This record gives sequence, C-alpha cells and structure tokens, in this order.
Amino acid sequence: MKNVMGVIYTGENDARLRELTMTRAIAALPVLGRYRVIDFLVSSMVNGGVKNVGVIMQKNYHSLMDHLGSGKEWDLHGKNDGMYVLPPFLTRENVGVYSGMLDALRSNTNYLTRSKQEYLVLSGSNIIYNAKIADLVRYHQESGADITMMYTKDPGMQRDEYGCYISVDETGNVTDVEVDPTHPSYENTSMDVLVMKRELLRQLVDKGVAHGHHDMNRDVLIRLVAEGKARVNTYEYKGPCWRMDSVQSYFKFNMDVLDAAKRRELFHPNLPVFTKVRDEMPARYTESANVVNSLVADGCVIEGKVENSVLFRGVHIAPGAHVKNCIIMQDGYVQADAYIENCILDKQATIKRNARLIGPAVYPIVIAKNVVI
Amino acid sequence: MMRKKTCIAMLLAGGQGSRLGILTKNVAKPAVPYGGKYRIIDFPLSNCTNSGIDTVGVLTQYQPLELNAYIGSGAPWDLDLSNGGVFVLPPYQKGKVGEWYRGTANAIYQNMAFIEQYNPDYVLILSGDHIYKMDYNAMLNFHIRHGADATIAVRPVPWEEASRFGIMNTDAEDNIIEFEEKPKNPKSNKASMGVYIFTWEKLRKYLTDDEADKKSSNDFGKNIIPTMLADKQVMCAYNFEGYWKDVGTIESLWEANMDLLETPMPVDLHDKKWRIYARNPGLAPHYIAKGAVVEDSLVTEGCEVFGNVKHSVIFAGVTIEEGAMVQDSVIMPGSVIKRGAVVRRAIVSENAVVGAGSFVGEETGNIAVVGQNMNVPAGAKVAAGVQVDENTEF
Repeated sequence: MKNVMGVIYTGENDARLRELTMTRAIAALPVLGRYRVIDFLVSSMVNGGVKNVGVIMQKNYHSLMDHLGSGKEWDLHGKNDGMYVLPPFLTRENVGVYSGMLDALRSNTNYLTRSKQEYLVLSGSNIIYNAKIADLVRYHQESGADITMMYTKDPGMQRDEYGCYISVDETGNVTDVEVDPTHPSYENTSMDVLVMKRELLRQLVDKGVAHGHHDMNRDVLIRLVAEGKARVNTYEYKGPCWRMDSVQSYFKFNMDVLDAAKRRELFHPNLPVFTKVRDEMPARYTESANVVNSLVADGCVIEGKVENSVLFRGVHIAPGAHVKNCIIMQDGYVQADAYIENCILDKQATIKRNARLIGPAVYPIVIAKNVVI
Repeated sequence: MMRKKTCIAMLLAGGQGSRLGILTKNVAKPAVPYGGKYRIIDFPLSNCTNSGIDTVGVLTQYQPLELNAYIGSGAPWDLDLSNGGVFVLPPYQKGKVGEWYRGTANAIYQNMAFIEQYNPDYVLILSGDHIYKMDYNAMLNFHIRHGADATIAVRPVPWEEASRFGIMNTDAEDNIIEFEEKPKNPKSNKASMGVYIFTWEKLRKYLTDDEADKKSSNDFGKNIIPTMLADKQVMCAYNFEGYWKDVGTIESLWEANMDLLETPMPVDLHDKKWRIYARNPGLAPHYIAKGAVVEDSLVTEGCEVFGNVKHSVIFAGVTIEEGAMVQDSVIMPGSVIKRGAVVRRAIVSENAVVGAGSFVGEETGNIAVVGQNMNVPAGAKVAAGVQVDENTEF
C-alpha cells in the first residue's frame, strides 16, 4: 500500500445541516461523543496503509485544520509524505472558490503532480464508513479497471433525491450513473469513493476543467460511462455507512450507533478510529446519576438522568436534570431540573435551571454553539 | 552538542514494587494502571511538562517492556522534542563490565554522561511511586532563592505515623538540620516525598565520592543526603501541602483509586491548567445499556456496561455483563466481568476474565486481586485478600 495516496474533498453542500455547519465543514462535524466525520475517512485510509493523505478544504475550514493539526494522531506526521492540508488560495487562474470537486483538484494540481504514489483513493466527506481500503485497492488493481467505485446496497443510504446511484452489470462494470434523481432507478448507492491511477485523475481533471466542467459525478463519471471511454468497475462495501447531509440524518447516525451490533461493525478492533486527544479524566457518575442506553465520553460529570443520548467530552448533567434522545456536544451544560428531549446542543451550549425544551422526534431542535437557553 | 538546560529530571522507575504483589509481576510499578485511564508514571511526567521541565531521563530496570512501550516517543506528554524530551535509560555495558543499578544513587551515577550532555545547573530526582500534582518549577525557584545545594520536598504526616517515614528536622528558615529514617521518637512530622533538587555540580561530586566508597549502599536516603548533611552543605526542606499518595501497596493503590470518587476530588483531575496526560487507547466513548446502573463511579472509553457498577473505577475497554455487580472495586483495562458475577473490594488487573456467577472479594476484609490475563472460572469464589495468579486452584 506504499504506492497509494488518499485525497479527501470536503466541499459538499451543507445547507440542510443548518446551524451545525454554520461555522464548520461537514468533515469537521462532531459525531459520536469524541469524533469528527473526517476521523473515519482518514482512519480508514491509514488503516489501509496509506501514508500520504491530502485534505482539500473549501469554506469554514478553521475547525478542520485545528482538528487535523500535523496529522500526528493518525501517524501522518513523518518526513516522507504525511497529512497535507490544502486550503483554497488565489492565483491568476484560480479564484479560491470551487464550484465542485474538479475545480478543487485543479487548484491542487501541484500536490497531485508532486506526490509519488501510482494509485489514488479519492473520497468525499459526507458519507461515514469504516472500510478496508487495502482490499478496495487490491480489488481495483486485480480487476484491471480504469476506475473502481465503492458502493453500498444499504437501503438507509437511499432516503431522498440527493446522491449518486449506479447500475452494475454481472462483471461489476458500471453501466449507468444517476446524480440526484427524484426517484433513484437503482439500489446501488455510490459512496463517493473512487480508486484510480494518480495520472488518470490528473488527466480527467485537466480535460474536465478545460471543458468548463466542475462536478466529478455529473460531468466526468456520467460521460465516461455513457461514452464507454473508460472501464468503470465497482467494489461493494458491506459495512455500515451513513450520509451526513441533514440534521435528521446526522441525528439518526448518532442514535443508530447506540445499537450494539451497529457499534461493533463500525468500531471493528482491526480498524481503529483515531481522533484528536483531549486528555480528559474518565467520566464521573455521582450517586444520583441514572444513565441508560447512552454513549458517554471522558470528562463528563453525570449527576442527573440520561436516556438514549450521546454525550461528548466534558458535558455536565446537573442533579435533577433529565436528558432524553439528545446529542450534547463538547462542554455542554444542562443545569439542575432542566428537561430536554430531541435536541442537539452544539459545543458549549447551556440549558438553564428548570428550562424545558422538547423537539419533535422527526425534526430535532438544534441549539447553536455557545447559546444559553 | 545539546543545548544547555537549566534543570533536567531523572525519574527512578527501576523498582519492582514487590508490595504490589501480582500487580507488578509483569510490569514495573510506574506502569501500574491508576484512576481509570492513567498509569502511575503519568503523574510525574505530566508534572514535569506542566512545570516547564522538558528533559526527563527514565531509569528502568525491572520488567521494562510495558513501561518502554508506554513511554514511546513521549508524545502524550509533549516530550517528543528535538532538544530534550523523554529518554528511557536502562542499565548498559561499559567497557568490559555490565552492571545493574545497585541503588538509587548508583542509577544516577551510571547515567552521569546523559546528564552532562545537557550541562544542567540543577537536577530534579523523582520516583514513579506516587500520585500527586506538584509544580517542580516553584520548588526550583525556592532552591535557587535559598542558594541551596539540595532541596528535599516534604509534606506533613500525622504525628502518630511519623515514625514510618524519613523525617526532616528543620530550623525556622526551612534548613534541614537533621535527617532521621523512621525515627522512634520523631522531632518533626515533615516526611520526605522522595522528590529532590540538587545543584548538579554538588551532586556530581557526592555521587562520585559515594561510588568510590565500597561500603556505601549507593542510596540517596541512606548515603548521599546524610553525607551532604554531615558536610554542612546547604540543605533545604520544601513544604508541599497538596494531595500526595504512596501507591506502593495493594491497599493504598485501591484507596488512591477510591479517593477519586470523593466530592470534591482530593486531587482535581478536571483542572485544565494542570492536566494529567496519558497515552490514549483510541476507543469509542463508553456505552451504558438499558437496565444498567452506574453510580458514584468513574468510567472511561471503550467500556460497555450492562450490569451494576457502584463506587468503582472502570478502565478502558472493560465489559460488565448483564446482572454482574461491581462494587468498591477497580477494574483495569480490557477485563470482562461476566454475567451475574459479584466483584466487591477487589482489583481486577488487565485483560482478566471474571467468570459468570463467580464471587471475587468480600464486603469487608482485605482487597482481593485478580492478576493480569487471569481467568476466574464460572461460579468460583475468591475470598477477601486472595491474589489470583496462574497457580491458584479453584
């Protein structure tokens, strides 16, 4: 796997995530008590032996850069290769605002050219998975295809019109590609993960941009398949995956992982998920604590009642407080005798004493960062 | 050539800690887990980092494998530096001879070349036996202000216990006038904490002289400090008032863990200005299932709790199955408490399995211990004070 590099594009549309992505990219969205979305993607690559990972940033990338740092947590801080953080920049032919993945890759042609690896894994950043990337690449190399797409048959991924759906023939080749259809014709959902030779990607980007194209799926893959100009093969991912593109899907993902079977699939012992460490002490439960069916991170202090919830690092639930079906991000504070249900509290939010806040189960309330209610 | 350092630390981590019984059978005492996610050595190492001391030699000898792996590059303590950092210093062969560390002073003597690389003005001597948060830099300032040749950190102990410690008798200016090891009739209750700062030039001379003395047992407490006192060197006592706990015995290790369940915690581990760093196992947040009861306890990453946990400290990756009951106990990383087992007043070491329906420890009496990787069979009974190792018959 020394011969494989990874590139993660983090510029997806995030309008339906509302306040959650006001100050951060989807890739930097906090999930499951101590992670950010990108941890799963980078860890998958690193567990697959990839030593050169580029992360292309677009907007609101401060929290993402802060989180990735030198790449140390993923062992990507060596002298050779490592983690490359690629923020947008201005040049004569580049305005720094990308209209799609192709523009972003075009801006970073230098990085692609300078890298030494023959193969490249290209991933989006709004689908969470924990894949054996080494198997994917081996499959690609053995199949002799020009491009291999990773896809899933997970019905949970086919909720609405957003996404890229494909038809596959008996040899695994892609025969049709649909992007954002109102009613998808196929059950196979692309996971926005592609493997190809680095040189091929460079050519595709160059040609695509020269023809005024922006989007990898819509402009490049549809054409390649329709015109038969390249053999696009597929690799089915059978593990669990989730698309992070709305408040509802974000909420569902966190709640799904309360299920033991799902959790064990996602956190496979051979595929550890690395993240930035905060050095908090273990969670403290007092005598009045009452917690059921919840994920609790280090640094929490639990004095009240918690049901079906995900508590991030440093959350404090005061005595008499009751938290049900909630996601409470880092350093959230629910004061004494408050009751909250179906809420997502962004970082450092505070719910004051005796407050009551009940969201509809299908449309959880989002409390933005630092807000006091 | 390394750049000069004002003060470097030497951490004595070679002792076996035999009073910890089977807990130190496979690991050196400083690597023994504590407090849900730490090991004992995290405290002196974090204290160094937080005190601005960025060069630490760790002297190892007994069962160093796990300790070495744990320290690694020193990154968890921000001690992975180009100029300084943490160094593991095992005994090594010199010329034709190789020898073990014969005593605490001899261990430092054998590593004089390491110290000299940094040409330090002062050397801080630490051990890996205690749980405490201490600003060594404040102690160093005290040492410099008093123009001392040696400064020994002391803390007050109850008078009735003073005869169990090394006691410093001081004058009104904190000068040490006498040192008594376990005095029958103590004149002071200032006990040595085993934390010393020496002016390096002086220490170098006394270490060299001590090494030449064939009758010496090459120990700081027995030889170096009494000799320096006899020579009328400037010796000062630095008073430390905070939490300090020796975790050298099974009972005291258990007690130190239970101390963390007090409100407020006697040693504040939430303190953002003085974090205690540890190597992180990188596991998911812990999961508390429906039907589980967790009260008055510490629980950390990677645990899955389906049973009852009361007044206990649960380390990373522990599973407590349905109907199991853990009370007043310490469960170390990776262990599994099977269905219906009852664990009371016990320490279960790393990666052990406590079988279904078994009983470990009792409501009163001495602490029961289950050793590393041990398996308590289903339905078995481990009485109070018993230590389970591979020779235990059920």
